[in-house]
Amino acid sequence: MSYHRRRNNHRGYEDDFRREVDETPEQKLKNTIIKMGEVDPVQEVPRLAKQLREEPALNAPVIAEGFRIAVTEQPFKIPYYAALLRELYDPPADAEESTSSSPTLGRQILEDFWKGFQASLDKLVWREMRLSIQLFAHLTIAEVITTQTMFELLRSFAAVLDEFGVSHGRAKKAALCASEGLMISGSIIKENPSINVIDIMSTIQAYIESTIDAKKLVQPTVALHSDSVTVESADELLDAALSALQILNASDFAQTSDSFPQPYINAPRPITAPFELPSVLVPPEVIELDSLSTDSGEDALVKKEEWPEFYIRIFDNDVSPDPTTPVGYAVRTGLLDLIDIFEVNRKECARLLLEFPKWTLPGTFKPRPGAPPQEPVSGKDWQLESTLIETILSTLFLLPESSHKATYYIALITELCKLSPSTIGPAVGKSIRKLYNLLADGLDVEIALRFVEWFSIHMSNFNFQWVWKEWMPDLELSLQHPRRTFMRRAVDFEIRLSYYDRIIKTLPEPMQNPDLKLVPAQAPGPDYEYDDPANAYHDAAQTVLNLIRGRAKADDVIVHLQGLKNSLETTDSDTNIDSVIRSIAVQSLLHIGSRSFSHFLNAIERYLPLLRNLAGGGISSGGSPNFEARKDILDAVIAFWKYTKHMIVIVCDKLMQYQIVDPTDVVAWTFLHGRQYVSTQDSSSLEAYQWLLLKGALDKANGRVVIARKRVTALRKEEDDNAARAKAKDQAAMEVDAETKPDVPIIESAALTTALKAFATLTREQKSALSRALDGFVDCLVSQTKPNPRAGEVILEKSWHNRVNWDEKEWLTWETWGWYRHFCRLYSPYLRNYAQTLGTVSFAKVGPSGDPAVELFRKIWNDATGQEA
Amino acid sequence: MAHVVAALDQPSSYKDSQARGRDRKLQTELLSKSTTLYVGNLSFYTTEEQIYELFSRCTSPEEGGGIKRIIMGLDRNTRTPCGFCFVEYYTHAEALACLRYVGGTKLDERIIRCDLDTGYTEGRQFGRGKSGGQVRDEHRADYDPGRGGWGAQAQRAEIERRREIEERYADAQEGPGAVAGGGEDWEETKGATTEPSRKRERSPDDEGEGRGEARTKLEETHDA
Repeated sequence: MSYHRRRNNHRGYEDDFRREVDETPEQKLKNTIIKMGEVDPVQEVPRLAKQLREEPALNAPVIAEGFRIAVTEQPFKIPYYAALLRELYDPPADAEESTSSSPTLGRQILEDFWKGFQASLDKLVWREMRLSIQLFAHLTIAEVITTQTMFELLRSFAAVLDEFGVSHGRAKKAALCASEGLMISGSIIKENPSINVIDIMSTIQAYIESTIDAKKLVQPTVALHSDSVTVESADELLDAALSALQILNASDFAQTSDSFPQPYINAPRPITAPFELPSVLVPPEVIELDSLSTDSGEDALVKKEEWPEFYIRIFDNDVSPDPTTPVGYAVRTGLLDLIDIFEVNRKECARLLLEFPKWTLPGTFKPRPGAPPQEPVSGKDWQLESTLIETILSTLFLLPESSHKATYYIALITELCKLSPSTIGPAVGKSIRKLYNLLADGLDVEIALRFVEWFSIHMSNFNFQWVWKEWMPDLELSLQHPRRTFMRRAVDFEIRLSYYDRIIKTLPEPMQNPDLKLVPAQAPGPDYEYDDPANAYHDAAQTVLNLIRGRAKADDVIVHLQGLKNSLETTDSDTNIDSVIRSIAVQSLLHIGSRSFSHFLNAIERYLPLLRNLAGGGISSGGSPNFEARKDILDAVIAFWKYTKHMIVIVCDKLMQYQIVDPTDVVAWTFLHGRQYVSTQDSSSLEAYQWLLLKGALDKANGRVVIARKRVTALRKEEDDNAARAKAKDQAAMEVDAETKPDVPIIESAALTTALKAFATLTREQKSALSRALDGFVDCLVSQTKPNPRAGEVILEKSWHNRVNWDEKEWLTWETWGWYRHFCRLYSPYLRNYAQTLGTVSFAKVGPSGDPAVELFRKIWNDATGQEA
Repeated sequence: MAHVVAALDQPSSYKDSQARGRDRKLQTELLSKSTTLYVGNLSFYTTEEQIYELFSRCTSPEEGGGIKRIIMGLDRNTRTPCGFCFVEYYTHAEALACLRYVGGTKLDERIIRCDLDTGYTEGRQFGRGKSGGQVRDEHRADYDPGRGGWGAQAQRAEIERRREIEERYADAQEGPGAVAGGGEDWEETKGATTEPSRKRERSPDDEGEGRGEARTKLEETHDA
């Protein structure tokens, strides 16, 4: 097959989906509904209504299914689907008396749609529920649904907030259902004298007030000294919803028509009796029953929890809408839904985002360049591109984690830039500058790291073009100032994605000077310590290297190392020869494997017995596995790859994978050897590269538990199935000969026993890794035995305002606080499980209470693990 | 969510056209669990570390995932990279994430393409073109500096860098066990903590045991 044809085929892969093959008439009908409005929704509504009515074999469930898909997957069209339903709700104008006795098409559709809503409710598919409620709210304004039953529906959702021990995720989603429904339908609901909309708002308010501790932990900018829950440069999602509601309520919802399109608004009151929504109860969350627990009885099932969502504001209110206002909230939430729903296809998502203004009220956004000019609407007239980039970035920067992988948001911005480079480009540039400025004002360390990731990948997609010159003056700042670490990491990340010479050339000449410590003096690469003939162990290392190079058997290398150890011990009695031998062996292996990642894997796999021997403390006096041996191995890794830090992360990952070292070893070593990264540091600290090592180790420990759990579950299910089958067979047999057989007790299979044992071992390991990490942070910040005076200093308000004068150590301590905070919130579900033991052990080592650092350290821990202070 | 738009992580249609009948069914089944990606349109000078850097953005280590291994596609005759590779993850979801977020973006300033692959089998690291490289390159009409074109403007340092990368795989082996496995899931007996002296050496060709036969049939899915 020729290259050209192949290419076409590949392109065809996306097109294939648009060519609906073998469409059934029902499918065709559904598609017509889903595609409504792509040219001009206002004109298409009556046309489609007519078409549906004329459909020969009319099938309301099929049409309702089309509505369900359309509403839950294209929320921007909801007002128009409401208009279509309103149109269909009355009998056709030319209908005869006789036909009007049966329910109208619109009523049938709505009845069926409600069944779909009930199904989403039973399964707690929140997004479908919320978007359906939006449709109901529009229909309430159109007087198709009664105000009383609509309000009752919203009240059932608000009631969730009063449940005892409600999870934040559930409360948040229920609150959004209630508040968005009320925002859209409030004007007509409030006309009903028997209804008090304030009830719903006060329930939300009361709930928000109960989330203060959690909010403190996920604010995007940090002021360690401050207790304030609001931040200047960001808005919390529920706060924004409540604020928009309060504004609406104050004007009796006069602004609703200014915030949400209401294409049905001029339709007359329906002649058919309005629809009454049945009353509902939001079912409780299904609690996954899992009899697995750790040996010490903790519940081992970790459930990810949700946190308050702070969205960073990048632009002023005249550039992008303020989400705490009704129209700003409507725009923001419309975009968030698009970004979330179309995650499966970022290219389509980008296209739809750029088309978004079409679905908003005229004048919401500035007209596109080249479009006919329009009279600017006062208080609106926002910039689409800035709004889009702000919304995507603020979603990417949600703490502790964004809901999709960071790469999704990054790739989405790339697609937007490709579709409209001249308009999106400047918005991206402005966003980078704004975020860069925020770095100096307490931008969270994790957000700063995601910012670097985005920056480097974005630049990698756009020829690494950035105006570095403007940041030149900041090279005067302290080496560990967040802006300098940003620049340094950005260059490093860019080099990883490209190569040294390429990236250096993108910097202005003066910035290329290695003395400024922005760029390394040479291309990153390995550093085999024993290459230097002047090295005392050069000759010894050469013999090891030659053996490995000649692919000698692992056992032979072990014997050789043993001999080497003996001879070195006779000549050099002062040095720890065990450590030297380990370093020579590991560095030589790394040297052989330094050509590429797969060369490294090959070298490791060939010499696994050697590495296990070393890690187990072999070729040493002890012979028992010990941390010293593994520390030596990890030290050799850092020595060898010190100029290529990300290789350290990669090598550690594989050393854990091959079970040469354990996650706990890596955690402990990361804290112990932090200062090797930053030579100026005299007390322990943790900065981004160490954090990545730490995270790699903790994720490995947690991931292993996930695999072990799946294995146990699968084996148990298999055994249950077998048992059921055996029982069925027995019963069948019994029917033939009436002789009763005693029940055979089910014996746990050997595989299940092994799996359970592995699960127990791995949860122990998980706990130990987490515990060691907490200990590490105690050592860095609040140790009783070696107190770090800076830890207490940098959290003072006075000190923070004087941060222009902070030196490297102060900034590093501040960063360490940031990573501690992130550790607590990111691993909170795990830490909660083990809170009792972990807390008791680690907090025994902290300094005296009353010390502000100790108090803050405890508060962060308590907030993250949900304990009362 | 597949009603309104097509998801980017649907298996590509072009591979279907090559397998027939029962094979196609088997292939679909393999792809539905696949943890391996075929990555194409790479520059000949892109390194595994660059690939690792980009593709590690789609890993889910907290779910037991990660990059298992990367197998660089080599010219059969010259043992130099010829513009494709396989990236193998530990989980299927990670491979799908790449189709959604990485395929069609740039690496080393080239738009790369990702496809689900039925899995690496011995020998697939080598190009199948007549000249030893990828088949597709034999039909390439355009000049492509990232894929062998040198260009008079190439700097001395650049030439040096390229030569280094070209020579990197001169030692590439063939046959069973030539390609590392990348490390398997945790096992009780593997750790150094237990019986350090009686460790079984994990033979590199353990990988794919018992599955090899099924895969061989499907080897031809890519014009590697």
